[in-house]
Amino acid sequence: MAAEPGLQELRELVAEFQPGRGHVLPALHKVQHTYGWVPRAAIEVIARQLNTTPALIYGAVTFYSDFRTHPPAKYEVAWCCGPACRLRGGEAIREAIQEELGIGLDEQTPDHRFGLHVGQCNGTCHEAPQIWVNGRVRGNLTPESARDLIRSLRDGE
Amino acid sequence: MNARLQKLIADAKAAWQAEQASGRVRIRVTLDTSSIARGAEETLARLRDAAASRKIDADVGITGSWGFCWMEPCVSVRSAAGTHAVLYGNVTPDRVDELIDAIAAGRDLPSLALGVIEGNATPDIPLLEDHPFMKGQVRRLMANLGRTDPENIDHYLAHGGYEGFGKALEMDAEAIVKEVLDSGLGGRGGGGFPTGRKWDFLRNATASPRYLICNADEGDPGAWVNRILMEGDPHLIIEGMLIAALASHADEGYIYIRYEYPLAFERMKKAVAQAYEKGLLGKDILGTGKNFELIVFLGAGAYVCGEETGLINSIDGYRGMPRIKPPFPAQAGLWNKPTNVNNVESYANAPLILRNGAQWWSSVSDAKEKGTKMFTFSGHVKQAGCIEIPFGPKVRTLLEQYAGGLSGDLPLKGFQPGGPLSGVLPASDIDLTLTLDPYRERGMFLGSGGVVFFDQSACIVDLCLFFLGFCEDESCGRCTTCHGGTQRAVEILRRIAAGGGRDADLDNFEKLIGTLVWSNCLHGQFAMTSIKTSLKTFRDEYVEHIVDKVCRAGVCKGLMPGRWARRAAPQPAAAAAD
Repeated sequence: MAAEPGLQELRELVAEFQPGRGHVLPALHKVQHTYGWVPRAAIEVIARQLNTTPALIYGAVTFYSDFRTHPPAKYEVAWCCGPACRLRGGEAIREAIQEELGIGLDEQTPDHRFGLHVGQCNGTCHEAPQIWVNGRVRGNLTPESARDLIRSLRDGE
Repeated sequence: MNARLQKLIADAKAAWQAEQASGRVRIRVTLDTSSIARGAEETLARLRDAAASRKIDADVGITGSWGFCWMEPCVSVRSAAGTHAVLYGNVTPDRVDELIDAIAAGRDLPSLALGVIEGNATPDIPLLEDHPFMKGQVRRLMANLGRTDPENIDHYLAHGGYEGFGKALEMDAEAIVKEVLDSGLGGRGGGGFPTGRKWDFLRNATASPRYLICNADEGDPGAWVNRILMEGDPHLIIEGMLIAALASHADEGYIYIRYEYPLAFERMKKAVAQAYEKGLLGKDILGTGKNFELIVFLGAGAYVCGEETGLINSIDGYRGMPRIKPPFPAQAGLWNKPTNVNNVESYANAPLILRNGAQWWSSVSDAKEKGTKMFTFSGHVKQAGCIEIPFGPKVRTLLEQYAGGLSGDLPLKGFQPGGPLSGVLPASDIDLTLTLDPYRERGMFLGSGGVVFFDQSACIVDLCLFFLGFCEDESCGRCTTCHGGTQRAVEILRRIAAGGGRDADLDNFEKLIGTLVWSNCLHGQFAMTSIKTSLKTFRDEYVEHIVDKVCRAGVCKGLMPGRWARRAAPQPAAAAAD
């Protein structure tokens, strides 16, 4: 598990952002881009930098589904929940992956190698049903090929 | 026209012509999210390797989407003499060597060819414009896609880019608004409100500064027209916003892009930086004394930020919860200052209107809605892709001609015109046109252009469970009618799907339909649309689920599979249920 960054480091990271300029989301993006997640300490540092309350920053972090409050797994699997994927058997893909990994949505395996979460349609519906592994589309899946994909990642590529 | 702009355009045209006359084979690979999902990065790398190792003497570059998303990666190859060019599809990494061999030998590769894009047809390869997918399309917004490099502002300038802005610079704000009003351009995000009137509201606002926002939070699952435009021709949107800024005296603009579109975000940022570099954005634009700052803003995963006031709160740094209107954004929007919000496609049309005139722009469509409209289509179809067509095609045309028909052997069950809030219609409505009125009359709406088709293997209860589950997840939580109502709807649908349907459930749905319309924003008001519309046309199927405990599609696991469940694994109960 990644260690939480120090306060000074966080302060320097968000020093460019200013109050009242719409900088809440850009600051959170920069933190998550740097560490892969938004550590608790960052919420207070951003609040101070933007002259607002930690509650407001925390409110934003929890409102938007793409901010993580815990470190990402080595393989973040996003399961596309869009209509084309669902019509083409997406539910069975989710069930196969959940069974293969032994975890549910928004969970990680105990060894932090795999995380599973819902992904919103990115308009590559020609590849339905699909998942994205660390942002890369793996499409035209069947339950079997989805299991094989997870196994090949787990067995070390 | 502004002398500095004239010089930019002349230089860009000269550079483009020099590039065309290089005497080398010219290869352009479509590089967007759709093609990357099908291996375009590797295809591009292999072609570049072949060019570097001199196996082929070629200039290899990137371009935007042709709309053939299901056949990506698409690659166009133009002969060294510049007289003959062919578009190829399905050039996946495992087939790119065939193409490299053909180019090296100086011949075409008919097995992968989609059509000839420059020069005459050959005995083996017809013209691309004769391809069934291209027939009937009118590519105006998409004119540069497949032809220019979206990351190169000079390519845009060499193809009429910023000419509309140049014309607008010589007009006063009122005249620009009039031109856009005359064109009949309506908002492309689904509302259809006249874009010119929106600009006029901002023009007449008294406070300053004033803000323009481009809503690129294309959250409707199954819609990707804005992504195609941003990834394929980002300057079209910048130019549209510049024209809007002149028309409404705006000082600053934001392009709000959803988090799921990282490539669109990068391309848009790059394009904005190039526009600043050329003096098209910032202070004293092209020496005219006019200022306009443009910021590309990344969302973070919230569907409801597609609602304009939710989007404004999101830029503000708050949770993206829609505000109560009035005040409308034109009075008090971003930081409580006058603000105008338009969809990507709405802004993108402005350069075409200014460059070619309102008359030219609107003459293309016979429908009440003017101009062209982009659509994407997906679901149980053979071809999931993107088209641009004069407003008003029939749904049937979309399905049969452009989507290539249904992918399976089951009959069509229905379709969704655009997004999870837009509702579902049965196959018998396939001859409706894709215009605003037919859907308004049915208490639904057209949406932003992502049509989803489904065949008889889809279960209406399951589909509504998906749509309502989406609405529940994405409810901002402000109104009890919405966040509580969608929860109740999902609970009832889940119970029906699990075999616990009760006689009262259909009445309960009616109650929820009557309740959710009291929500503050469109999200809550339209969350029940899929249930409302399907209760009318698919009522039998609900009754089967609730009374007979049969799911005719065999999707709901708590029920006996019915007559369309033949593709599901055979179950002992199947025969009895049918």
